[in-house]
This record gives sequence, C-alpha cells and structure tokens, in this order.
Amino acid sequence: MLAASPTTLPLFLTLSGCKGPAVLSAPPVVSAQTQVLLRAVTAEQNLILTYAKVMSAYSRLAGPLAPLRAEHEAHLAQLRAGVVGVEWGKQAQETVTARALLAGTESAALAQLRAAEQAAVTAQMERLAAAPAPLAQLYASIAACESTHVSVLGARIGARAGAQ
Amino acid sequence: MTTVTTGTTGIAALQSALAAEHAAVYGYGVAGAVLSGQARARARADWTAHQAARDTLESMLTERGATPVAASPAYRLPFAVTGAAAAKRLAAALEDGVTGAYLGVVAVNDAALRAFGATAMQTAANRALTWSGATVAFPGMPA
Repeated sequence: MLAASPTTLPLFLTLSGCKGPAVLSAPPVVSAQTQVLLRAVTAEQNLILTYAKVMSAYSRLAGPLAPLRAEHEAHLAQLRAGVVGVEWGKQAQETVTARALLAGTESAALAQLRAAEQAAVTAQMERLAAAPAPLAQLYASIAACESTHVSVLGARIGARAGAQ
Repeated sequence: MTTVTTGTTGIAALQSALAAEHAAVYGYGVAGAVLSGQARARARADWTAHQAARDTLESMLTERGATPVAASPAYRLPFAVTGAAAAKRLAAALEDGVTGAYLGVVAVNDAALRAFGATAMQTAANRALTWSGATVAFPGMPA
C-alpha cells in the first residue's frame, strides 16, 4: 500500500480539486508586534523621503543633511531585519508617498524636518512598552539618535536665524 | 517609605546604570580639570547632571529594597587625558558608556523603567553630541 508522503499530498489535493489544509493556504498572520514594527518601517521611509525632498530642493542642505539621512537608512535596515515572514508589498509602499509636502523656504524645510524627527522620537517611545526586549532596545536607540537629529537641526535653524 | 517591586533583572540593570553614572561623575572631574572657558563650564554642568542622575538611581534602588552600588575610589581612564581634545573625547566616551548602561534598563519588562531608560539615553546621546560634534545611528548599542 502506498502512503501519502509530504511531497505527494499537495499534488493529490491539486489534482482532485480539494482544498488543502488551512496550514498550506492561509495567508501569513501578522502579529500585533509585527504591525507595530511595520508602522515603524513606514515612518522611517517617510522620514527618508522627506530628507530626500529637502536635499533635492535645497542643494546647500544636501551635504549637511546627508549623514542624518544615512542614519535613518541604517535604522530602516535594522527595523526591516526585525520583520520575519512578511513580504514587502504594495501596502507598505502606498503609505510612504502620501505625506511630506515640502515647505516653501530653506528654514521652513529645516523646521519641518525637525518637527518630523521630534514626532518620530515620540512614536518610538510609544512603541517601547509592548515590544519584546531586543526590539524595545532598538526603538530606544533609534529614538536617542533621532533626538540628536532634533538638536542638530535646531542648531542649524538657530545659526541661520542668527546670521539674518 | 514606598516600596516598589522590581525583579532581579531590573535591579541589576539599575545597578549597572548607577555604576556608569559613578564613572561619569569621576570622569567629568578629570575632564573638567583639564578644560577651560566654555568647555569647562559645560563639563561642570554635565558633572552636576550626572550627580543628580546618580542620586535618582540610588533612590530608585533603595525604594526597591536594594543596596545601591558604591563608587570606586578611582577608575582606569581609557586613555591619557593631557589636553582639551582628550578631555572632550573622554566626556564623549563617558556619555557613550552611560547610554549603553541605560539601554540595559530598556530591556527590563517594565513600561515605566523602559521609558525612564530611553529618556536617559536621549539625554546622554545629546551630551555625547555636544562633545564629539557628531551623531551616531545607534546610540548605546554595541558596535
């Protein structure tokens, strides 16, 4: 007698028109923790997009802002590394481009970036409590970095105001 | 006196943060002696801030029924501090050490301690920025 092996069973199900067991056909379940992580990923993408727009519109800022944007790219890579079993699909991309209308002057653009960094710090702090320890540490470290970005951007805004 | 319940992991993380604050208080004493002018004033302000953080941690540990770790009589400096540049590098290194210690507090499974640790990391990372002049992507994380 032939026993169905793990490799022949799906083929049999396909040929016979039966639906496979739920374990084979169910979409991947995204846990609440992963949803939080995905939102953190999207937030980083939004920040990077805002930096790119400002650096493109105001070429004088491209050099000074490049290290800050690079740090956000490093954050994005680490956050993405924490997401297991979720494909980067259209859904994540759609939420990225919806924001970031660019401010009309260089100073206003810097202020916009500074406000975005401050909001990012607040969002990371809100993610801490429910996260597993390693992720909480990642959120906290990113928040610390973003808080230094707030200072750097604030100093640049202050220097510009002083020069005028 | 109010008693707060925190597990052994939380106590150990707070003790590590306190040890880092003790080291920072000592180290800023060394750095401040070498610096002058505005840098010296900044070192003095940071020294005072670390003393306040040390006192806060000692209170937190006492509230939790633990005996706060004592400061060492002296600390081995990571390099010779013979001029202003080295003193600033020392200050930045002290802040990096403090940031890393508070990262351990963030790992504790207690929302209030996590928020406390993360806020302290931001303060220390900003002090490190003022001394080094540069930001880093992951403050407190091992390189």
